[in-house]
Amino acid sequence: MIEIKDLSFNFENTNFFENINLSLKESCINVIIGPNGAGKTTLIKLIAGILKPDCGVIKSGKKMFYLPQKITYTGAITLYEYLTSIFFRKNWKWHITKNEKQKIFEIMQKLEIYDKKDITVEKLSAGELQKANIALGLLSEAEIFLLDEPTSNMDLINQVKVLDIIKKLSKNGITSVVILHDLNLAAFYGDYFIGINQERKIFSAGKKDFLKSEILKKIYNIDFKILNDNGSYNVQIIK
Amino acid sequence: MAESKKIYTLIILTIVFLIALYLALFAGYKDSGIHLLFKSFDLSNDADSIILTVLRYPRVLKGFIAGSCLALAGLFMQAVSKNPLAEPYLTGVSSGAGLGIVISVIYFNSMNYSLFGFAGALISSAAVILFAGISRFSAAKMILTGLSVNLFASSLISLFILMHADKSHLIMFILSGGFNSGGLVPDKTLFAVFSAALAASCFVIPKLNFLRLDENMVPSFKKEVYLIIILSAFLTCLSVFAAGILGFIGIIAPQIAKKLVGNDYRYLFFANILIGGSFILFADYLSRTLVYPLQIPLGLVIAFIGAPVFVFFLTKKGDIFDRN
Repeated sequence: MIEIKDLSFNFENTNFFENINLSLKESCINVIIGPNGAGKTTLIKLIAGILKPDCGVIKSGKKMFYLPQKITYTGAITLYEYLTSIFFRKNWKWHITKNEKQKIFEIMQKLEIYDKKDITVEKLSAGELQKANIALGLLSEAEIFLLDEPTSNMDLINQVKVLDIIKKLSKNGITSVVILHDLNLAAFYGDYFIGINQERKIFSAGKKDFLKSEILKKIYNIDFKILNDNGSYNVQIIK
Repeated sequence: MAESKKIYTLIILTIVFLIALYLALFAGYKDSGIHLLFKSFDLSNDADSIILTVLRYPRVLKGFIAGSCLALAGLFMQAVSKNPLAEPYLTGVSSGAGLGIVISVIYFNSMNYSLFGFAGALISSAAVILFAGISRFSAAKMILTGLSVNLFASSLISLFILMHADKSHLIMFILSGGFNSGGLVPDKTLFAVFSAALAASCFVIPKLNFLRLDENMVPSFKKEVYLIIILSAFLTCLSVFAAGILGFIGIIAPQIAKKLVGNDYRYLFFANILIGGSFILFADYLSRTLVYPLQIPLGLVIAFIGAPVFVFFLTKKGDIFDRN
């Protein structure tokens, strides 16, 4: 479980976040939503430990994997070679052991990218690349995945495929924190919700309590109509 | 790229290297051939074997050291800065070395100019790395600091040359790059230092495979990057000591190697050593035989072959230079 207590963060001498208390749910998809510039990425970077809070504590105790929104890829390597990169962290490691190779193949099969293993990275689609990045997270044995808009630049099918994988991981005990912009996808996949508005006020609740028009209005400042059909939600904008 | 294909490529590169080695050692004799190698072992006073042991062996050794050091240093620089245009002299080595050489020729015994060049290279690169690393280190900062130090030192070089017109011809000749007697430092010492630097490279090479991942995604290691840059600068200084200031190899050898064996640094390591070494040995052969009996400075020959080769790769295989 990720526990955030009395967190404050200053940015360029202004209070960016003040006294934030949050607790994220384990083995669930925690979705962060909010308008651009509200601080979603900042919050996820604070959790990842890339940014240091000015006061307060973030407790997680588990290995985390942070997937930034924009990733630069090294060219001229195959998907398999891309995944092997993660194992070269230690000194004097000149070759990939059989075990590690086996592990890479297993994860590739699980994420359905095994048949692409000899394709160079620049020829892969956005969805396949994102699966490869998730595979890196699994290979690094992280138990908490922090994903900053993992479905940006993807068509609907690929968005669903990537989110399906994240859902499957959460059933296997992996906690994920995901920034999403599509409220309907968020409503479909999310288990626990964190909303940030332009004033950096934070709202958090489970699905049933969060997906209400008055809360969404506080976050986005526009009116919503929410249809609930036996637990499947549909979020509409009212003009 | 399949592993077996990479290994075949390395074997072919080794054969090319052996051909270059043969040319550099034996070509140019009236009586050339591999049997000279065996003759040179029976310490007779035969003129041919003296040429081999006294002139050619040290020269080939230095050529190999210079070429492989430059290629490796370039590989490190390009990997760390993630920029395919990065080159070994980015840390201010070239003009620092040039300044050392000029001071040595003008004010001291010009026999030891390579030692002065080495010292100049060490001082300037140490200055650049320190300045770039005092607060938060970044590759962009280092490149810009290196550029400033290069400009500063090369203006001093021009000033010295203008003040000592009588020695300007000698200075220009030495600055064009080429082998020398080495002065006080025996070749064995040079080889030992080179071997140590290679051993240190073996340590960091696999880590460069890890650096292929986005630095925001995985915990980056700033300390290691800093060490790699220091190692790269040191390799460049060694090459300056062995063969003066030679441009081009440090930028094209890594590019060609990447095209041949892909982006796996374990293979790139060997490919760069072989390509850099072959390139200089071949250039040295040409520099001795092209306008026989005159010797064209090695640096000029390298530029003569290097520029067309580079342009060829740019036009034919241009797509590899868009990435790194």
